[in-house]
Amino acid sequence: MNRNNFFIHVALALVLILVAAFAGQLNRWRKTWKSHARIVPVEEKKKAMTVEDISLSETRSLGAPEILVKFRSGVSQGAIDRLTAERNDRVEDRIENADGWEAIDDFDNADAATLVKEYQQLPEVEYAEPNYEINLEEGSSGPLVPILPRDPQFNDQWALANSGQRGGKKGADISATLAWTTTTGSDNVVVAVLDTGVDYNHEDLTENMWRRPEKMEPYHDNELGTIDDENGFNAIDGTDPMDDNGHGTHCAGIIGAEGENELGIAGVNWKVQIMPLKFMNASGSGSTKDAIEAINYVIDRKKAGVNVRIISASWGSTQKSRALGDVIRKAYENDILFVAAAGNSTVDNDRTPHYPSSYDVPNVVSVAALDRHDALASFSNYGAKSVAIAAPGVDILSTWLDNQYEEKSGTSMATPVVSGVAALVLAEHPDMSVDKLRAKLLASTDPIVALKGKTVTGGRINAAKALE
Amino acid sequence: MAISKDNALENARNDLARRLKIDSGDVKEKSIEETDFPDMALGAAEDDEMSGQMMTRGWRIKLEAQGQTFEYRADKNQVRAYNFKGKNYRI
Repeated sequence: MNRNNFFIHVALALVLILVAAFAGQLNRWRKTWKSHARIVPVEEKKKAMTVEDISLSETRSLGAPEILVKFRSGVSQGAIDRLTAERNDRVEDRIENADGWEAIDDFDNADAATLVKEYQQLPEVEYAEPNYEINLEEGSSGPLVPILPRDPQFNDQWALANSGQRGGKKGADISATLAWTTTTGSDNVVVAVLDTGVDYNHEDLTENMWRRPEKMEPYHDNELGTIDDENGFNAIDGTDPMDDNGHGTHCAGIIGAEGENELGIAGVNWKVQIMPLKFMNASGSGSTKDAIEAINYVIDRKKAGVNVRIISASWGSTQKSRALGDVIRKAYENDILFVAAAGNSTVDNDRTPHYPSSYDVPNVVSVAALDRHDALASFSNYGAKSVAIAAPGVDILSTWLDNQYEEKSGTSMATPVVSGVAALVLAEHPDMSVDKLRAKLLASTDPIVALKGKTVTGGRINAAKALE
Repeated sequence: MAISKDNALENARNDLARRLKIDSGDVKEKSIEETDFPDMALGAAEDDEMSGQMMTRGWRIKLEAQGQTFEYRADKNQVRAYNFKGKNYRI
């Protein structure tokens, strides 16, 4: 090689190195941008947030549709295409699981607020809103469109979609609207709500209630005799598990109030089967013995073929019962997850255990409560070793007796959020073992500063991550 | 039927008189305040009692008798003696 060729090769090598380095930096920039990705929450339809509150610039740069439009029933696809074409727009996508909704892209680069106003004036349009952005997760192939249920009080459900309503922190939620792009639940999954019973006639629950299959014999208990468990199980006296307090109905609604039914709220699962179990009385308390009876009932029904995979336990005390621990272990051996409230006494459960959440059994998931600012709730127990995970548990709107809806607070409310996410995972992965299910939940959190050193995971449950 | 604040106070006063074996007229109201309790047993669970872990609005009632102060807790569903000689009681 002569001297000139040598310098040419060196120069070429330098250029290649610079190009590679620049490409690497570009990739790092891209990853950094994505690591800061989060859902920009849904609009509050009642008030508070306006379209001006939400930046759509990144949405546009990704080439995502700019607005979501729901056309009135009876408007044909041809008419929709004509209306959009007249405005130099196009229908980019019809949204699954949301009948009548169209994602519309604008070629004139008009802002979303203007487009929303323009479409809302059309007689063919029932409703239009900006396409709030969900940024990309690593490995995604394109922007996702959030699934927004048409339940009228959904906008008060900050736990599912926190848009900063009532002064909360935007995005401090379980990413339910993103999770629902994967699944909204399945009526093949049965969740036992071990509580004060459930108002199984509630307008927002009745379609999602478990009922004993016709071919299944009524339950027989050695002490209580034969029980007609058509609507679930009452361990107190063997009668109907109708709720006479409201607490169990509230927990049931968080897990599985019917979604998209244009009534009340949406549960974490729009579709699921809630199995009512009553062991607490009208005041909201019950005995360890009756709790054990009810858990045994769940195990027996599982053995009889009911696909009950989760027990949601929004209750507890500081008294340890070996018998209760043993029956929870028996549930584990039958592949049943046991999600339990960490307690509301602002204490460290590592030092002062709270049961059943503190039992060292592999199927137990102990749940702390967060408020709408992503802070540990002022009342919530915690435990770096003994409390697994946190979930929203302050001012949680859910179903109540007599077709009512009420806001309640407690680790009681955080617990069914996690139970609900577990049910979503099982809807997508019905054969997942209880060990893998628990591990999946604990690996599916958003890190929260306030939880560092306070829980095992240090994070808030994220339903979308749990479904990845 | 829901328990009112006045009902709760009266029930608590009668219960304390019975426990101390004194006349209810010798039980004085020291204070009654509305407050949030940590659970549905009002933070006064009996032995072997589990309760819903929902914050519960109720009344903290403090009574005086025989030179001592005694605490009761109540809500619309129940009245409880708190830490009476080391134990809780639902009345």
